Amino acid sequence: MKRIWKIYRLLAAQNLKRIMEYRADFLTGAVSFLIDQAVGIAFIFIIFTQIPQLAGFTFEQILFIYGFSQIPKGLDHLLADNLWCVGYFIVRKGDFDKYLIRPVNPLFHVIAETFQVDAIGELVVGIALLIYASPGAGLHITIWTILLSIIAVPFAALIYTSLKIITASLAFWLKSSGFIIQMVYGMNEFSKYPTTIYSLPVRIFVTYIIPFAFTGYYPSLFILTGNNALFNIGGVIAISSVLFVISVFIWNKGISAYESAGA
Amino acid sequence: MNKIRKSYVPFMKAGMQNLIIYRLNFIGFVIGGLIYCFVMFYLWRAVFASNGGDAFLGFSMTDMVIYLFLSNTTSQLIFSSVSNEIGEEIRDGSISMRLLKPVNTDLSYMFTELGTVFMKLVVLLIPMILGLEIYRYCATGNVMFNVGNFLLYLFSAVLAYIISFRVNLCFGFIAFYVKNLWGIGILKNSIIGFLSGSLIPLAFMPDGLRVCLEYMPFASMSYTPVMIYMGKYGTYEIIFRLGLQIVWSVLLYGLSKLIWLGAIKRLCVQGG
Amino acid sequence: MIYAEHLRKEFKKIVKEPGLKGSFKALFKPLKETVVAAEDISFHVPKGEILGFIGPNGAGKSTVIKMLTGILTPTSGECRINGKVPQNDRKNYVREIGAVFGQRTQLWWDLPLQETYLVLKEIYEVDDAKFKKRMDFLNEILELEKFIKSPVRTLSLGQRMRADIAASMLHSPKVLFLDEPTIGLDVVVKDNIRQAIMKINKEEQTTVILTTHDISDIELLCDRIVMIDKGKNVYDGSLHELRENYGQTRELVFETDNNSKLTEEEFRKGLKLNENDLVIESDKNNFKVRFNSRKLPVGEMLGYTLSLTKVKDISVKDADIEEIIRNLYRQGEKSDE
Repeated sequence: MKRIWKIYRLLAAQNLKRIMEYRADFLTGAVSFLIDQAVGIAFIFIIFTQIPQLAGFTFEQILFIYGFSQIPKGLDHLLADNLWCVGYFIVRKGDFDKYLIRPVNPLFHVIAETFQVDAIGELVVGIALLIYASPGAGLHITIWTILLSIIAVPFAALIYTSLKIITASLAFWLKSSGFIIQMVYGMNEFSKYPTTIYSLPVRIFVTYIIPFAFTGYYPSLFILTGNNALFNIGGVIAISSVLFVISVFIWNKGISAYESAGA
Repeated sequence: MNKIRKSYVPFMKAGMQNLIIYRLNFIGFVIGGLIYCFVMFYLWRAVFASNGGDAFLGFSMTDMVIYLFLSNTTSQLIFSSVSNEIGEEIRDGSISMRLLKPVNTDLSYMFTELGTVFMKLVVLLIPMILGLEIYRYCATGNVMFNVGNFLLYLFSAVLAYIISFRVNLCFGFIAFYVKNLWGIGILKNSIIGFLSGSLIPLAFMPDGLRVCLEYMPFASMSYTPVMIYMGKYGTYEIIFRLGLQIVWSVLLYGLSKLIWLGAIKRLCVQGG
Repeated sequence: MIYAEHLRKEFKKIVKEPGLKGSFKALFKPLKETVVAAEDISFHVPKGEILGFIGPNGAGKSTVIKMLTGILTPTSGECRINGKVPQNDRKNYVREIGAVFGQRTQLWWDLPLQETYLVLKEIYEVDDAKFKKRMDFLNEILELEKFIKSPVRTLSLGQRMRADIAASMLHSPKVLFLDEPTIGLDVVVKDNIRQAIMKINKEEQTTVILTTHDISDIELLCDRIVMIDKGKNVYDGSLHELRENYGQTRELVFETDNNSKLTEEEFRKGLKLNENDLVIESDKNNFKVRFNSRKLPVGEMLGYTLSLTKVKDISVKDADIEEIIRNLYRQGEKSDE
């Protein structure tokens, strides 16, 4: 464990050095994601110029849900961005070889290799929205709700990461699975809004199948109402753990099907 | 004309083949877009429900559905990846290879892409229009398909494509200065998504902003054709909007040429 | 030390007909084809040996190396190295091996080389004292000092290859896999790398498996060679034997002032060789002798020619490895019939 932490720190430090070297690129990345966020928020803002409430939630409450959903997303983006590359080209080009000849867990190795600072866009916006929206959102603030929802954040990020692991693993069979990652990842759109606006099949889908609802709406709902900790927070922990176990299983299966590149 | 056929049709065929070879990426892209549309659909449904009324600034829910799906499809149809391609070529230096070929550089990019645009027209736009018209029939009980509007839509979409191509060409040249093409791509997509009205109809925006955006080239990229298709514009407005699109195509053509000339100079300085 | 038993690896490949039509067909009905990259490969290598693992392009060398290093899982057959099956106990197994794939680097593209080694030090759990000693040793044999502070992406091919070899050696592996370590390098760098491989092998009894297309690599380094083609073993033995059996033809090219006196007839008479064993081609200044080195040692041929004329320059050409392999394979085909 200590060794893993040490390797991670070394690689992350190297990443930071690299970012300093390509400062312009880092700025473009972070600014891009910031603007992407700004557009999403402008959208909510414009909607609320026309209506007072959306599915029973006020402007501040919707912003709170939106902001909360961006934090796990940003966390995953910050720490596990390299999985995209596995799906898009690392496997196809045969560059996965090097992870297999090192005495470190390949999954850990892949993830530790990038530290994606672009994610600052999501994290900053997420936190800023929480701060901005909290006073007016009528939060149910107790030590419990705060503690439990903070605990939920890393698990919610794990939902993102696990889904990416599963979809990236498919590249071991299909050579390239970038499009599948893109497709599944794109469903995180569902996490930004209350699930009550969706029809029942969609709601079941985003709760139990591609459980993005647990990365934003449910945990936010818990702080907003203080109700149903077992489902809203327990659900995040349970579903993310199950998903992670499944993802590691598929990943390992994938490695034995890996075909490298060339003859 | 004959020269165009001989020199550029091969590029077009290559473009069509590319789409087939990378069909999985394409399908992923389409499904991603559809998912997004559905999220928006539910969101708007909730907005309409909260508003308590049927119409919203002149848009009924049926209108909204058509707007959402058609503007998404239109954006995909006129989507140009030339900024990525040119960016990659600048980065790995292979752009000098392209300059060596005895064809017009812009046109060679464009024809490659027209191949994919044509495929998208067949496999994406036509089924989408069919689906939407069936939906409209079920929702309202009337057949509301208007051939004239559809043809005008196609004409406007062609202009939209030319604008999109030129805008993307300009974005591609940023690669001379910045290496993070991925970031640029995200930036470009979200800017275009917002300013073109494919995210939220420009009609819903605050007045000052709306007027401003309507005159910018981005609005020409999906808002104009979709509004024409939906019959939201009268005759004069249609003529005005199409004229605006033409003006923008010409202006952007000039701009991209200017940047291109500057870029070639820079290329020489860098030594390829 | 290393046992490979009947290794076989199949890949599935989608075949596509050319043209737009072909693309359409592949869209609706992809045709799958099984490609056998390695059909049946067996060999074993004792500790401390340098084995030349050779074969023409597409013979399946890299596939076999990748199975031995645990990257690929064999379709059937088994390999055991130090008693371990690479695929079963990957993490512990790879601690004992080092691998260099000449065509692609395993270093971090943007990191300065030195930092790369620090990361590898942690990955392989090399302690500080050992690491320092090791780096001194690698510095000495691979001359890394000059570029150790530069980012990997700025290294020349030769520097990068030395850096890659050092990286694979950092944890003192018992087995070293080198897949075309001299590809695309100039003579000086090649020589440097060969020296390094030899030193490592001698000082630490490291077992080395080396693939290459350069016969001098093999001549200088390898105790034994295993040759494969089309996924099957075709030869296993020493290089000397291989030459004896298959690569007996040598070519000597002399540059002379005047070679009018040197005729094929005179050579045949003087050396008692028939037309199968000796062929001469000559033009104004060059004079080319191709002969069977089993019948006549190269030295004698040299001496004989020098006694006849004044020679300005000499070059010796070996039967090249590709040719030997071709010959071998042709023989293999014949014996099948």
